[in-house]
Amino acid sequence: MSRTVRLAVRQAVLEQRSFWRSAEYALFTFAFPLMILLLIGAANVGSHLPGTDIKNTTVFVPGILAFSVIVAAYVNLGSKVAVLRHDGVLKRIRTTPLPAAAYLGGLLASTVVTAISITACTGLIGWLAFGAGPRAGELLALAGGLVLGTVCFASLGLAISSVITSAESAGPVAYASFLPIAIISGVFDPTFSGLPPWLSRLVAAFPVKALAEVLQNAYAVRPFPAWDLVNLGLWTAAGAAFAVWRFRWHT
Amino acid sequence: MTDTRVIVERPPAPAADGSAVHVRGLRMSFGGTEVLRGVGFDVRYGEVFCLLGPNGAGKTTTLEILEGFRVPTGGEVRVLGLDPAAQPARLRERAGMVLQECGFPRQARVAELLDLWRSYYPDPRPLGELLEVVELTEVRNTQVRRLSGGQRRRLDFALALAGDPELIFLDEPTTGFDPEARRRCWAAIENLRGLGKTILLTTHYLDEAERLADRIAILRAGRIELAGTTHEVAVRAGLATRVSFTTPSALRRGQIPPPDGIDLTICGPESVCHTANAAMTLRLLLAWATEHSLGDLGSLAVTAPRLEDTYLQLTSGDRG
Repeated sequence: MSRTVRLAVRQAVLEQRSFWRSAEYALFTFAFPLMILLLIGAANVGSHLPGTDIKNTTVFVPGILAFSVIVAAYVNLGSKVAVLRHDGVLKRIRTTPLPAAAYLGGLLASTVVTAISITACTGLIGWLAFGAGPRAGELLALAGGLVLGTVCFASLGLAISSVITSAESAGPVAYASFLPIAIISGVFDPTFSGLPPWLSRLVAAFPVKALAEVLQNAYAVRPFPAWDLVNLGLWTAAGAAFAVWRFRWHT
Repeated sequence: MTDTRVIVERPPAPAADGSAVHVRGLRMSFGGTEVLRGVGFDVRYGEVFCLLGPNGAGKTTTLEILEGFRVPTGGEVRVLGLDPAAQPARLRERAGMVLQECGFPRQARVAELLDLWRSYYPDPRPLGELLEVVELTEVRNTQVRRLSGGQRRRLDFALALAGDPELIFLDEPTTGFDPEARRRCWAAIENLRGLGKTILLTTHYLDEAERLADRIAILRAGRIELAGTTHEVAVRAGLATRVSFTTPSALRRGQIPPPDGIDLTICGPESVCHTANAAMTLRLLLAWATEHSLGDLGSLAVTAPRLEDTYLQLTSGDRG
């Protein structure tokens, strides 16, 4: 067991080094959520949610935290594994005695490190720029929500990687499969409303809004997001089951 | 034997026959198509064995079965005494595999990647030696994506060698390379041989097989057509020795008869005959030359059958 853990750590270190070496990739991964945070955040300064004294930015910042988690865990991991499979790196790993658990564990550990750095950046800048921080005593709830979100979207990332058929389409497929849902989930616009009821219900079924609401609860007093937690749990299970079922070491 | 979970374990192959790879009656079908129809050969410890054949002959499929990636439809396979399909993890600790077209983590540096690979194995080879064997010491700190095709291929070899394996599989190691890159790949393979490794390689290049292999098996349409050393293969194919000399002007002008008992073909300035008995042919030929006062026959040459002739003769029917 300790050998598997040690090998997973080594793998994660190489993945992190590789991530930071491809500077534009790393920069873009970080810059995308941060740009949205600063630009849209600036447009919301001074506004309040209709009929409340909750500042727009107080729900907007955790929404972008959810977005950051999805970029790190879903988009990055999903497209990464698809490219590794397409390039034959997974096949090459298969020629060695490295246990599958050590390799995948390493990829997941590296994903967690990326998710932590990107959410830390987003949260810190949101706090400094807009004064939007988690409620006193809710830091643990926030951390728990981030962990749950990372696990959920990493399992969905592994699932989507099996659907992607070429290295070229990996990034576009990963982004296109969640950005529209993120937009109508109101992640980028705290006052977003006016969806027809059927679309509202559909959006509520996806895990993007659920994760945003779980994190928003740590920032502003809202109804306890019990259903959102159930939602994330179900998507995690579904994603993991699909990922295990469809996982292939080669194209 | 207290571990009752190990029920698929069969007794290891007898060590007495001394083969690193033992294949008998190997069959493989995909859907209704039979790709391998009873392939059999042995690779001895310490030799370079080459599976030679045209594209689509079943070389890669054979290798994938030996590497434990595919379960054969039928037949007997032992690699280092193991059943590759049943014991892939144990096999991969002892056998290095170089597949066709296999990607790298692109941002990793050469030495860093090799070091990571070394950590996968119980008894790895020292990093410096690995770099030296494949002549990559100078680019040890270069990112993999900046390497040339030939350098990547040699990195393939080094990665396959990281665990200090007894046996190395090489699937078409130089396909698509320019002459210089091929030469350096060959040098790297010869270095591997120098380390005492058993090597099983596939290729469709004759010169590669001729240069590298101790023994060769020609695989065609899912069967082994011939196997043995380069020379044995040619002889077994029933190929004749070629005897040639400069056509004497008297013979060309029809002033003297051609030699008796020799099937001579006059191709302009050169006369050629093919024979199963070179000594007898030479005696007849020299007697004929003496009789007609031709002196020493110009440019007299005796050429042993070559692998290329064998191969072309075997596979000539394959091309439309």
